[in-house]
Amino acid sequence: MTTTQLPTAAEPRRVEVPKKPPRRQREGAAWVFLSPWVLGACVLTLLPMAVSFYLSFTDYDLFNSPNWVGLRNYTQMFTEDPRYWRSVGATLMYVVIAVPLQLALALVVALALKNMKHGRAFYRSAFYAPSLLGASMSIALVWRAIFNDGGTVDNLFGTGGWVNKPGWALFAVALLTVWQFGAPMVIFLAGLQQIPGELYEAAEVDGASRWRQFLSITVPMLSPVIFFNLVLQTIQAFQVFTPAFAVSAGKGGPADSTLFYTLYLYDRGFVASHMGYASAMAWVLLIAIGAITAVLFRTSRSWVFYASEGDR
Amino acid sequence: MSWRSRAAATALALCAVLAGCSEGDGSSSVGGKVVLRYTWWGNPDRAARTQEAVDLFEKKNPGIEVQTSFSGYDAYKQKLATQAAGGDAPDVMQLDYRMIDQYASGGVLMDFAKQQGALDTGEFDKGLLATGKVDGKQYAIPQARGTETVVYDTEQWKASGVEPPRQGWTWSEWADAMRALAEKTGKPGATDPGQSEDAFEIWLRGQGKALYTKDRKLGFTADDLARWWTFTDKLRREGAVSSAEQTTQIDGTVENTPLGRGTALSDTNWDAPSSGYLAIIPSGVTLAPMPAGEDGTPGQYFKPSMFMGVAADASHPKESVRLVDFMLNDAEAAKILGATRGIPVNETLRDAIAPELKDFDKTVYDFQASVEGKLNAPPQAPPSGDSALQTTFQRDYDQVSYERMSPREAAENYITEAKAELRS
Repeated sequence: MTTTQLPTAAEPRRVEVPKKPPRRQREGAAWVFLSPWVLGACVLTLLPMAVSFYLSFTDYDLFNSPNWVGLRNYTQMFTEDPRYWRSVGATLMYVVIAVPLQLALALVVALALKNMKHGRAFYRSAFYAPSLLGASMSIALVWRAIFNDGGTVDNLFGTGGWVNKPGWALFAVALLTVWQFGAPMVIFLAGLQQIPGELYEAAEVDGASRWRQFLSITVPMLSPVIFFNLVLQTIQAFQVFTPAFAVSAGKGGPADSTLFYTLYLYDRGFVASHMGYASAMAWVLLIAIGAITAVLFRTSRSWVFYASEGDR
Repeated sequence: MSWRSRAAATALALCAVLAGCSEGDGSSSVGGKVVLRYTWWGNPDRAARTQEAVDLFEKKNPGIEVQTSFSGYDAYKQKLATQAAGGDAPDVMQLDYRMIDQYASGGVLMDFAKQQGALDTGEFDKGLLATGKVDGKQYAIPQARGTETVVYDTEQWKASGVEPPRQGWTWSEWADAMRALAEKTGKPGATDPGQSEDAFEIWLRGQGKALYTKDRKLGFTADDLARWWTFTDKLRREGAVSSAEQTTQIDGTVENTPLGRGTALSDTNWDAPSSGYLAIIPSGVTLAPMPAGEDGTPGQYFKPSMFMGVAADASHPKESVRLVDFMLNDAEAAKILGATRGIPVNETLRDAIAPELKDFDKTVYDFQASVEGKLNAPPQAPPSGDSALQTTFQRDYDQVSYERMSPREAAENYITEAKAELRS
């Protein structure tokens, strides 16, 4: 991936390289060690993908053998299923709210940690902890309790149950995602530490304010890392399932406001037993995520700054 | 370590991983005991009584251990579908009328004829027994029959001074009562029935129509549905029935209905599960008949409320059927279970336990007796798509109650979705 090229420090490090065994032997050993993964990727990823592609053109209902129906699943999705479009809308809304908020929070915390003199390791771990817990079902259930009628938020602010109000429910789910900002934060922190200190010193000498320094040094120098996080979190956000499932008690409600794409896909496949239709939905999602990632890459040319290119 | 020994070590590790994956093919026998899995949905009261009956079964059959699990209806429906699709259906499972067609034609259920003699159906009503047949084969055994009811908080209704429901009341009389209750008590009179496909069916039957036609197509039009939703939506706006925020929390358990949460005075529910309300409303609930059509045509009907089925690939089919037989035909079990799933289908047992029924079981028995002979014949088993449509119905009404769509728009959406669902 091109996005991981972090700007490197001015002085190249010299590392002693031990003598290598002949190339062919090394490759053979590599394949042996890779074999569990390769096998897993083929059996658990590629094969199911191929099967799901085939099933997307059938009326497979989990119980009876599939019958070929051509493009019917796809045409039904686009022309006969109003709920499908509601799920697309809810997903896009969620991505647009959750991803920028999460990245902004991750960056702010990373900046604070970078300038910290003592206890950085402790706080880094503490801020990372929600990311380890957050994906679990139990936290999502706690979240539902907090934002339900008579829950903590209702008691403190008298707002009523967020999870029962369309618009608010989506926000409650988004908050759960934003709270898990640990992974992008750690990556931001690593990126920040790679920015040469001389740049800030020079700017200080020139009398640049903190804000100026942030805009003119931190953001451009960090832009490849921001881009990397943006792509990664966007892809993840499109596939969010557990929090929405638990927070909406498995229904994607109220009024389909948290019926994310994956939730509706699950509903079609496993609740309504239309596995063929669900497979078609999965393929449309794959293509959509691919297209959106491609667009992000295209726009990146205009705002992502690679130090190595700048030298040219 | 040489290249070869490294490769061998890796291969060994790989084998260990693969072997780990193939271990544990479900639970079949532990310590020489036959282990059965039995699942059902219901309220805690039903769970406690079922567990007691199962314990008795284990005592009488020392070689068999029964692992039980239960949940609310919505969660159960999803879990069972996933298990069945994965070839991991429980040995003995409780089924809804809506599920039989789907699971039987999908090869999930065993034909009881394969275990002839293990189950005695001699005492069952023949008509009721036939509701568990698909293509002439007995895939499921009805456990009980039930009917819908307007269940209400006896004390609060009395205190409000509003006239209590009477036999043969109509939907407009019901609506007036809900308005009066809301006015007197400040609380909505009932759960918004707009979200319930069951309530809609009763309203529809009260007008001489049906949810499905004989050839398993939709039996009503967008006009019918729009009229029903306009009726309920108006009541919701007036505050006579529960708000959208309350209604949306319904998940198939009595605890999460507006009545269960103490935010409404009544609910439309099935008669037997309403026993769950007693734990929440200790002062007592009363069962009243569902409203009839304006000309007095009754909409509610006796429906086989639950079935028991055995998985086609059950590892111990004989023992599984023995458990079914025990739950339905054992006199002691019948005493323990009472009417927690409805009045027993075994007629001898029904007559035997009737005088001994007490508390809520007697309430259910008396309620069924009060409408006996006054109802029209039940419709045939719903097509397999109905299980999914039940949820779709609820969701489309959410769009109405949250005022995101007009009743007409939502009704047209539902018809589109239902047609696609029933086509497959």
